[in-house]
Amino acid sequence: MNQWITLLNKEFLEMARNYKWIWVPLTFILLGVMDPLTTYYMPQIIDSVGGLPEGAVIDIPEPSAKEVFIMSLGEYQTIGILIIVLSMMGTIAGERKSGVAQLILVKPVSYISYITSKWTAALTLVVISLFLGFLASWYYTGVLFEFIPFGSFMAAFGLYALWIALVLTLVVFTSATLKHPGAAGMVTLVTVFVFNMLGSYFSHLLEWSPTKLLPYASEMLVSDKWPEHAWPATGMASILIILVLALTVIIFKRKELAD
Amino acid sequence: MEIFETVNWSLLAPILVIQAILLIVALVDLIKIEKTNGPKWIWAIVILLINIIGPILYFVVGRRNH
Repeated sequence: MNQWITLLNKEFLEMARNYKWIWVPLTFILLGVMDPLTTYYMPQIIDSVGGLPEGAVIDIPEPSAKEVFIMSLGEYQTIGILIIVLSMMGTIAGERKSGVAQLILVKPVSYISYITSKWTAALTLVVISLFLGFLASWYYTGVLFEFIPFGSFMAAFGLYALWIALVLTLVVFTSATLKHPGAAGMVTLVTVFVFNMLGSYFSHLLEWSPTKLLPYASEMLVSDKWPEHAWPATGMASILIILVLALTVIIFKRKELAD
Repeated sequence: MEIFETVNWSLLAPILVIQAILLIVALVDLIKIEKTNGPKWIWAIVILLINIIGPILYFVVGRRNH
């Protein structure tokens, strides 16, 4: 346990040196406030850009607060995931390449502590950043449009954070099993993309699929009610996270021993 | 510019501050760091000239961690 805390502190220290504690939360806050602001000021933006013929009238129906907030969710689903994957893909693959992993693992450090400390550190950073981003989006949507009930907001955050945790676990897995950080990032992005596509094509069949966590989060916001199939989906996501993490440790151990 | 009168500055100011922090941190890091992915001067231009996205791009792809 002591050793695990030391490893975790090493991860946090490294994130501080990489400025991740500064730029990841700030970027996520920007992602969150982008949609409320641009949607609210859209008429002025169109006016100032100009280029419209004299007398042209564009009637943009004002979206509801919930719609605007769900648009922000979409930003995290695309740009947010891209940032998480690109910034975390080197977490193990990079250390192996540079020899840091070997330096650490030569000492009596268990593979489990090595992997789980990395995972915990990355998860802490990402979940805190995501929460700050969500909070900023909630506040801006509230001021510019209408405040969404805080309970629904928290439930939607919980559902979506679990999905992000699963994506992050996948990054840790590919980073531990593939040699090159770029390959790890690529494989993760393709996997997430394919699963999302399959999940939306067969959405009526895969109600418990973790890819449904985003739709459930939106549903939660729209109806203010916990979606019917949200529990199986959260259970499935949690099980998958634990399984992938276990698999990461097993494969990483074999690979390290073979090298 | 009439747009500047209609804008709610208490909402825009935090964004300008965040943008400034990202820019300064990215520049300080660029000066201190030994090597980047690609030439340093290009990253300096990217950070300075591309609003908001420049510094983020630098942190995501420009930094070489090890």
